[in-house]
Amino acid sequence: MMNGKEYIESLRKYKPTVYFMGKKIESVADSPILAPHVNAAAMTYELAHDPKYEDVMTAKSHLTGEKINRFTHIHQSTEDLVKKVRMMRLLGRKTGSCFQRCVGLDALCALYITTYDIDQKYGTDYHERFKEYLIYVQKNDLMAAGAMTDVKGDRSLRPHQQADPDMYVRVVERREDGIVVRGAKAHITGAVNSHEIIALPTRAMGEKDKDYAVAFAVPVDAEGVVMFFGRQTNDMRRLDGDIDCGNAKYGTVGGEALIVFNDVFVPWERVFMCGEYDFASELVETFATYHRQNYGGCKVGVADVLIGASAAIAEYNGVEKASHIVDKLTEMVHLAETCWCCSLACSYEGFKTPSGAYMPNLLLANVTKLNITRFPYEWSRLAQDIVGGIVATTPSELDYKNPETRELIEKYLKGKADVPTEHRIRMIRLIENLSIGAELPESMHGAGSPAAQKIMIARRANLDLKKEEAKRVAGILPDEDYQRVRGEEKKE
Amino acid sequence: MKIGVKYCGGCNPEYRREEVEEVLRKHFKISYSEDVDILILINGCRKACLAEEVEHPNILVVGSPMSEEEIVRKVEDAMKELGKAKP
Repeated sequence: MMNGKEYIESLRKYKPTVYFMGKKIESVADSPILAPHVNAAAMTYELAHDPKYEDVMTAKSHLTGEKINRFTHIHQSTEDLVKKVRMMRLLGRKTGSCFQRCVGLDALCALYITTYDIDQKYGTDYHERFKEYLIYVQKNDLMAAGAMTDVKGDRSLRPHQQADPDMYVRVVERREDGIVVRGAKAHITGAVNSHEIIALPTRAMGEKDKDYAVAFAVPVDAEGVVMFFGRQTNDMRRLDGDIDCGNAKYGTVGGEALIVFNDVFVPWERVFMCGEYDFASELVETFATYHRQNYGGCKVGVADVLIGASAAIAEYNGVEKASHIVDKLTEMVHLAETCWCCSLACSYEGFKTPSGAYMPNLLLANVTKLNITRFPYEWSRLAQDIVGGIVATTPSELDYKNPETRELIEKYLKGKADVPTEHRIRMIRLIENLSIGAELPESMHGAGSPAAQKIMIARRANLDLKKEEAKRVAGILPDEDYQRVRGEEKKE
Repeated sequence: MKIGVKYCGGCNPEYRREEVEEVLRKHFKISYSEDVDILILINGCRKACLAEEVEHPNILVVGSPMSEEEIVRKVEDAMKELGKAKP
């Protein structure tokens, strides 16, 4: 297993084509714009070596028996599923940001299950092929970017109906030694600082979409892969210093990129689905369930930092004992822990699939994520309420560091006498980072938008059974247990 | 050959578990006993709590809705297997 430093060093061996602000990034490991995201991902490696965290950060490979980073592990029990979300909360708390590596983990787990199921139906050998790839990932402790979301073009049309056939990633050529793929995947977390890209279909497919039912893995610097690193609110602040960033070390959300597959060759040993359109929805649903499971872990870890920041700024301002502040902080904790309950619940209610891998309860995982499309907005609102309007009006770090103006800012941004002004500014900036920037839309749309969760919840709502219970309680249907209790077995 | 049925606790079933028993009764003679040749565990969901808890040499696990044909086929297959295994 690599440690954090070794992970950063390992990125130097790859030469991905990455563009940002009109320029090519020459070294992912050395770019100041990418640094916070690289650091956050590095924590997934570093903590695996810390005796204080290794119990959740590591696992035993079911394929090799070796100790591996849990981010490459296929869950072998419900306890594994629980440890996964514990790992998410730990890392959210440690970084106050997105550490990106869960997407690749979820892609690995979803492919493990679906390749097994495809082989059962068609007699293909995807599962064995995938296991070989998995061992390679585990042995080399690689970070994989899970690339699911296609750019989609006209959302009302299926992949094969699009005016431009490249709106969904597709196979453009089948060769003896592999396939050639073309298309693009959007909003891919941690893509530029991963070692591998694992591409999955993004939706259910029909027979005419056969060429779009494709899953594969390529190194990030495979020929023809071009990435565009996305902009974030206030991203240029990281070039000015560290205070105004709020979280200079780990940034905010995952550092997403648009990945273009410009006729990329994929050898057969790295192809895990090719034309089995009837398994596209299973793969999507399985991946989505794993990914939605996470959000009551990672986002709650980030909420721990925001709640801490809100409590600290209340102290710095001298209002920590005001009843409305105590009430707001308590409400934030309640919201966060409710989401934590959801992640734990869907994990404990997980089940064994025919492949042997465990997956979370589908209904509860979707409930988890639907709450995350809402509750972070509320705990961010409360944080903004507690910190005050200064969260949007604080003078810049450059004015604070300017010897001509520093004294004035020191004096007039002071809170309680015993708290350094810089501490107060840093805490305000952290709250700004966590409650105003990209964090909120990521909560909304990461792992799928609310409508996607609603569809899954409705599908599993089991209203017929609930109606039956209602009819029994209302006295419309017989209630045998009641009849026995009352000795009225023959009356109803 | 004796066939037994055991239900999970039924906290939040995803389907009417009783339908499985109704099918079984229609085609086989069954009892609520674990001292049987084949034990059928009727779980309300795929979590299948019973599968984790019950120890029996010949278990059939139901954890999601199944058609009548599927239930009957599974039990008959299990009976055949057991028949082969017995001297």
